[in-house]
Amino acid sequence: MNNNIDVLIIGAGPAGVAAGIGAKKEGAQNVVVLERDWDLGGILQQCIHPGFGLRTFKEELTGPEYMHRFIQQAHEVGVEFRTNTMVFQIDKESNTVWTMNKERGIEALNPKAIVLTMGCRERPLGAIRIPGTRPSGIYTAGTAQRFVNMEGYMPGKRAVILGSGDIGLIMARRMIWEGAEVEGVYEVMSWPGGLRRNIAQCLDDYGIPFHLKTTVTKIHGQDRLEGVTVAQVDDHMTPIKGTERFIECDTLLLAIGLIPENELSRMAGIEIHKVTGGPVVNDLLQTTNPAVFAAGNVVIVYDLVDNVSDEGLIAGANAAKFALGRIPKDAKRIPVKGGENVRLYSPQFVTGEADTTIFMRVTHPIEQACKVFAEPGLYSQRLRYARPGEMNEVKIKAEQIRNLPDLSEIVIDIQPV
Amino acid sequence: MSEERKFICVSCPLGCGLTVSLNDSGEVVKVEGNTCPRGESYARSEVKDPRRVFASTVRVKGGKLPVCPIRSKTPAPKGKLFEIAEEVAKLEVNAPLKIGQVLIHNVCGTDVDIVASRDLAAV
Repeated sequence: MNNNIDVLIIGAGPAGVAAGIGAKKEGAQNVVVLERDWDLGGILQQCIHPGFGLRTFKEELTGPEYMHRFIQQAHEVGVEFRTNTMVFQIDKESNTVWTMNKERGIEALNPKAIVLTMGCRERPLGAIRIPGTRPSGIYTAGTAQRFVNMEGYMPGKRAVILGSGDIGLIMARRMIWEGAEVEGVYEVMSWPGGLRRNIAQCLDDYGIPFHLKTTVTKIHGQDRLEGVTVAQVDDHMTPIKGTERFIECDTLLLAIGLIPENELSRMAGIEIHKVTGGPVVNDLLQTTNPAVFAAGNVVIVYDLVDNVSDEGLIAGANAAKFALGRIPKDAKRIPVKGGENVRLYSPQFVTGEADTTIFMRVTHPIEQACKVFAEPGLYSQRLRYARPGEMNEVKIKAEQIRNLPDLSEIVIDIQPV
Repeated sequence: MSEERKFICVSCPLGCGLTVSLNDSGEVVKVEGNTCPRGESYARSEVKDPRRVFASTVRVKGGKLPVCPIRSKTPAPKGKLFEIAEEVAKLEVNAPLKIGQVLIHNVCGTDVDIVASRDLAAV
């Protein structure tokens, strides 16, 4: 079936909307973004706090305001959006994308190129084994955020937050502003998961205690959550006997990490990186299936939406180039390797066809002057510190790769200086 | 008494640790730790008149969603945030709403407006 789509994008969050703009600007004719929700914007619809787009727009916008600007631009350049449309399968060989929609029924789409922009999902309670009962009142922070900010429900009156990811910190303040109590935030690691400014403006501003190396060890309550037991943990993350404490609460919010959402990518036979949880991509944001590109949190979980939008623009533009036959088939595939202090990074391959930014996270906080670099001699930048909660970047120009015809691998790392 | 105060800059995701030195009359004489001019102005404001952008929702009648996100158009005095939260909680508006539409002028006498932060269609 030929439905005459040049670039098909899956998901109308920040990455997908930007990919649409990128594809149109690169010259693709028919660019379609599929979205399963009734409205565009993805998760930013529920991120109603300010803090988005400082780099892109030189002002701090709320999530809906940030998306509003991109969606307007996408409409102006002629991106077609299909809402209430769910992709339920991508065929491995033919790249046929199967969709369903109440009015259009089931359709098989055969675009020339695909961009995966499905974002990520929150780690649920089942991902960490906490003993005890399973009463109501336990939500991921993002679910609670949707309840409060889009559906007008409060999840409870007295909350404990497990994990210190940014959504949990933001929800601590949100619950306080809505009149609830937040007993404290508990983080099993010895460093915070979220940004320092969110600890300052969401916890410190309201006197919410923040406990590192402490976790929830038991859940209490039959129908409704009645409380949790928390305990400090040792260096092996084992609870320390004698430090247990019972906390009465009716709500437990989980902010324990985000996982790229790649069910469709797997169906399409795309290689998924075992550390990032996202597709293996090159600097063109092309996956191991040459017609399929990927951008945003589906690839690697970013801190800032500005980066997600930037990557969306790049993936969309390269998908358009692929559709127009302008991506060389014999492009190089130089592997990027992470050094000892790098936990994860993306992209994992470089073609040298375009300037690129490699995003990475360190394995542990380095609280001293250090440098982030790419060998052999491709990049070096001094840093005041490096922390797992804050991504670092390496920038490499296409010209640098072209000037090294024998380059066989790139090694990136962060080391104290 | 001269004084030194420390806080984390919330102007951008870097979160620089700021140290502000005050003289005997409580005026800022030095800001350290910032890596850009925004940090300096944040530090000065944080000492004299701390402000935050307030973001919440209002109830909506006849909208595609039962609530619409709102924000203070400009940062509001930190000490007034709970008062503003109560004002906002009392409000119920009719759909449709336009992004940027003023819903409360001069909320709680702060000279700050509360605006809708998304378009919300009527059902």
